[in-house]
Amino acid sequence: MLIKVLLHEAENPLEITLREAFCCLEPKLRPPFPLTIPTQQDYLDLNRAILYGVLCEPHFAKVHIKHLHGVITDGYEYFTSILIKIVNELYFKLVDSVKRQLIWVTHEMVNVLAVGFDDLLVALMRQIVGGDFGEENLWLCFEMVNLFTSKWDYFIEEEPLVLSSALYVFLRLLADHCRVLSIPKIEALRQMEIDFCERMLREKLYLCLRIGRDLVRLLQDLVHVPEFRAIWKDLLYNLSAFRTDGFVDISQIYSTRTSKFYFLLRITPEMESQMRFLMSDVNFGSQKRYQIWFAKKFLALPERKTVLVDIVRFICCAHHPSNEIIHSDIIPRWAIIGWLLKCGVKNYVEANLKLALFYDWLFFDENVDNVMNIEPAILLMVNSIPKYVDVTHSLLEFLFILLDNYDIERKEILLRGVSTAFCSLVRKGVVQSLDALTSCDMLSPFLKERLGKLLSETQFPLVPSLFVKCEKSSSLHTDYTKAGCSN
Amino acid sequence: MEPEPTLQPLKHIVPAAQNNINTKFILLDKGKVTLEGQYKTCLALVADETAAVHFQMWGDECNAFEPGDIIHLANDIFSYSRNNLVLRAGKRGKAEKVGEFTMSFVETPNLSEIRWGPDPCDSRKYVQQAVISPYSRVFSSPH
Repeated sequence: MLIKVLLHEAENPLEITLREAFCCLEPKLRPPFPLTIPTQQDYLDLNRAILYGVLCEPHFAKVHIKHLHGVITDGYEYFTSILIKIVNELYFKLVDSVKRQLIWVTHEMVNVLAVGFDDLLVALMRQIVGGDFGEENLWLCFEMVNLFTSKWDYFIEEEPLVLSSALYVFLRLLADHCRVLSIPKIEALRQMEIDFCERMLREKLYLCLRIGRDLVRLLQDLVHVPEFRAIWKDLLYNLSAFRTDGFVDISQIYSTRTSKFYFLLRITPEMESQMRFLMSDVNFGSQKRYQIWFAKKFLALPERKTVLVDIVRFICCAHHPSNEIIHSDIIPRWAIIGWLLKCGVKNYVEANLKLALFYDWLFFDENVDNVMNIEPAILLMVNSIPKYVDVTHSLLEFLFILLDNYDIERKEILLRGVSTAFCSLVRKGVVQSLDALTSCDMLSPFLKERLGKLLSETQFPLVPSLFVKCEKSSSLHTDYTKAGCSN
Repeated sequence: MEPEPTLQPLKHIVPAAQNNINTKFILLDKGKVTLEGQYKTCLALVADETAAVHFQMWGDECNAFEPGDIIHLANDIFSYSRNNLVLRAGKRGKAEKVGEFTMSFVETPNLSEIRWGPDPCDSRKYVQQAVISPYSRVFSSPH
C-alpha cells in the first residue's frame, strides 16, 4: 500500500499506474533478472514497477534497487521524475513506511547522481511545513538536514546550488524552531539545523549570497541565537572573516533581488495551487468561503501562522498575474494580502508580514527589480483608505519605521530605494498619482508630512510630477506588468 | 477502467425517479448530522460553476465530506425526500472525494429552491415553474 485512502475518497490515478505496473511485472521483479533489453514502453513500466516495489516492499528494497541499477539507460531521469511527482502530489497521504523508503531511495538517487536529484531534494524540502511541530514533520526536517550534513562534501563538489536552497529552508525553519522550548526532540534537531546553516555562512558565503537580499531578512529574524548574532556582527564589521573575494559590504546583498524560486521553497505545492487558484479564478466578492477553507486547513493553529510571511513573499514576488487578470473581476493580490494581515497574528509575525510586504521597496532599483513585487503594498495602502484607513495608516507608519531603523548606517540606500519605488509605481501607472495618500484627510498629518518630505527630498527629476495626475497613466496602466524585469 | 460517463453541469439536472446523475461539485456548507432511524443523515449545500443544490448525505458520507471538498457523483438521484428536493447517492449511486478547493462555483440558482411541475408536453418529465428563492433558504452565505 502506497497511500492512505479515506472512506469515500476516489483512487489516485498516479497510485493506480504504479500499482498496475507492479502487479503486471511482479514475477519479473525477482532474480534472476532477464538480460533482454526492454522496449521503451517496457522500460517505463519497469521503472514504475520497481519504484512501487522499493516503496512498498522495504524487505526487498535492496534487490529492487540493484535491479534498477542494472536496467537504467536514462541516467535515472524517469525514475526521479516519478519520485518528484509522488512527493509533490501524494506526500501527505503516504503511508509512514513508504515515507521512510522514500528517504532511503532519495539517498540512493543522490549517490548515483540521478538526473534531477536536486529537484527531488527541493520537492522534499517543500513538504516540511513551517510551524508544524508534529513528530512526522520534525522527522522530515531531521532527515533532510541530516542528508545535507552527511553528504556535505559531495554536494559542494557536485551540486552546490542545492545547498543554497537548503540554507534558505533551514534558516526559515529555525526562526520557528528557535521560538519553542517545550517540545521534546526539537533541541537536537535545532542544533543540527544551526550547525548546517552556520557552516554554510562561515565556510561558503559565496553560495549563501546567491539567495540575495532575503538572506538578510531571514538572518535578522535569528539574531537572538548566539551563533547567528556572531555571524551578523561579522557581516557588519568584520567581512574578512568570510574570506570571500569581492564582498566588501552588506549592501551588496541588499542590491541582489531574490529569485522567486526561493519563495516557493517555503510553501507546500498544495498551498501554492490553492493560492494561485484564488488569484486566477475567483472573483472579488466571492472569495469568502475559499478564505475560510484555506485558513482552516493551513492557519488553524497559532504557531502555523508564521507561514503567512512566506505566503506574502510568494504573492509579491512569485505570483505575477497577467494584464488580462489584472483588468478582470478576479480578486487582486493586494486584497488577499489585506485578508492575510487580518488573520490575527502575534505582534512579531505582524511585523514580519509587513516587512515581507515592503522588503523590495527598501532596496528598489529599476534595473534589477520588478514593479510587480512592490505593487501589492501601494494598492493595499491606496485601496484601504475608504473603509480601512487604519490599514493604510499602519502600513505607511511601518514603512517610515523601516526607513529610520532597518539599517541605521545605510539610511541613504533605504531612502533611495523607497523613493525610487514610489517613483516607479507612479511612472509605470500602477497608481495615477500619490494624491490619494498625500491629500488624504483621514491620514495623520505627521505621516503625510513625512511622505511629502520624502518625495520632495529625493534627487529624482521625476518626483515633482508625482503630485500631478499623469495624463498618460491610463494607457501606461495597461502595460505595467510588462514593464519590470522578468524573473 | 470503464469509460467515464460525461459529467452534467448542475443547472441541467432535473428531478426524476432515476439514478441517472453524474456530476462533480464542491461542498460549500454542511448542516448538523442527525439520526433518521438508525442512519445518520446530513444536509449540505453544494455547487458547481452553473448552479447550487442541496445534497443529502447518508451514513458515513456525513463525516467523510467537509466544506471545500470536490466530490464526484455517479448514478445519483435528484428527487423529493420528505418534501425536500435533494440530490443524493441513493442505494445505487456513488459519491467520492476527488479533490479540494480548486473549483469555481455559483450560489444561485439553487435547484432545490425551485418549484418544478410536470412538463405539459411530456407528463413524465419535470420542468421549472417558479423560483422559490434565488439562494438557499437553509444555508446562509458567509458574506
